[in-house]
Amino acid sequence: MPKRVILCVGTKKGLFVVEAPTSRRGFTLRGPFSPGVAVYSALIDTRGRTPTLYASSCNAFFGMKVLRSTDLGRAFTETASAPAFPKDDGRALANIWSLEVGDDERDLWCGVEPAALFRSADGGDSWNMVSGISNHPHAGKWEPGNGGLCMHTIVRDGTRVHLGISTGGHYLSEDGGETFAASNDGIGVGFVPDPYPEFGQCVHKIASHPGAPGRLYIQNHGGWPDRPGIGVLRSDDHGHTWRSIAEGLPSDFGFPIVVHPHDPDTVYVLPLEPMTRTCPDGAPAVWRSDNGGGAWTRLAHGLPEKESFFTVQRDAMDIDTLESPALYFGTTTGQLWIGHSSGDEWSCLFDSLPPIHCVKVAVV
Amino acid sequence: MKHLNAEPSAPAAGAATTELTTISIRIPAPLRDYAGGAAELSLPATSVRAALAQLERHHPSLYRSVCDETGAVRRHVNLFVNLAHVRDRHGLDTALAPGDILTILPAVSGG
Repeated sequence: MPKRVILCVGTKKGLFVVEAPTSRRGFTLRGPFSPGVAVYSALIDTRGRTPTLYASSCNAFFGMKVLRSTDLGRAFTETASAPAFPKDDGRALANIWSLEVGDDERDLWCGVEPAALFRSADGGDSWNMVSGISNHPHAGKWEPGNGGLCMHTIVRDGTRVHLGISTGGHYLSEDGGETFAASNDGIGVGFVPDPYPEFGQCVHKIASHPGAPGRLYIQNHGGWPDRPGIGVLRSDDHGHTWRSIAEGLPSDFGFPIVVHPHDPDTVYVLPLEPMTRTCPDGAPAVWRSDNGGGAWTRLAHGLPEKESFFTVQRDAMDIDTLESPALYFGTTTGQLWIGHSSGDEWSCLFDSLPPIHCVKVAVV
Repeated sequence: MKHLNAEPSAPAAGAATTELTTISIRIPAPLRDYAGGAAELSLPATSVRAALAQLERHHPSLYRSVCDETGAVRRHVNLFVNLAHVRDRHGLDTALAPGDILTILPAVSGG
């Protein structure tokens, strides 16, 4: 029986853990863990009898670490090692952008900067590079986006693995991660002459629903006046082809994209004004589609109505799995918001945290 | 406590034998957990590179905090032999003499 809602909030100055009963009243905050060090990714692993919390600690001075907690985020320790490129590879780890669960209780996957994939069979104590994507023939041609050349999304569905790389695009494995192919048919770009290249797209985030794995959504780098509508996309064939679902949104630029836990047709984005990458007209809003992107509804009740110019980064929005789920997003201005009733009613949980990089929630 | 020499020794070629060249490594507070809590380590090394190799062998977590996987010293970490930054000497090939102090310090950066 779930007892609590727990969030990992990765910030520029460390990791915070937020907890509340499943009533979602009385959220408490603890941390920062790994104080002063940026945390770009977190994972609440609910596979085992006791949930395990993971977070990346991205120390600009002393390198990358992976943190682990087995007491619901009351204490964290470093795993025995962090991902690292082979000594003769020539690349050096610059950041850890994604942590995801693998096949069994100890299997972890990790996407890093420069874009590469690592896998751990022992809960993060040792790591091996996955060469099928890390040494892909395209890898030398991927370019860093504004956030760096990062592998920020790992979506697993049986033997299929979807990866999001900025800027590299969407890569798909159908053999459990041994080999990968660029799968960007329909994913556009606005920053090279060819509007639909084989690879090189600036994919911002990929989301899916485990009950409908053939359906995927992408928040792509949109906001191009000459190439409208390429920013929010949907696939219905396991990511082989993509089509725009951006019509009706105030902007097709944004970073996060989230799927409702009980309905694969319900999807959320947080559109941003493309030049400043902040809230359009200073009025933040989440937009929800209940029909797979056919129409969109603005959700802003309780959010500021003006003079708010924050950004919500690619991993800084998530949704819990209670019967009537709540959305959560964190801002670059350090606010953590909750959207009750599937985003219909918003309130600010904490308003003066450090700039927020990631928000992950689970009901445990 | 040894007095700090303003000038480190000449390049490693022709330096004293390893057996005689015991140097000290000063460890900044954030990294002491990786050295069993020690603020200073003594080890034999005739060059900065050799000292880092000793760290890699005996204190791998400390080494990984100072050098990335290519072997390069991390961008925001500075190494000093006595009072001289190694970049102003011979980099990782800077020779070490008995009693030299190799200091690891985080750079002044961040925000």
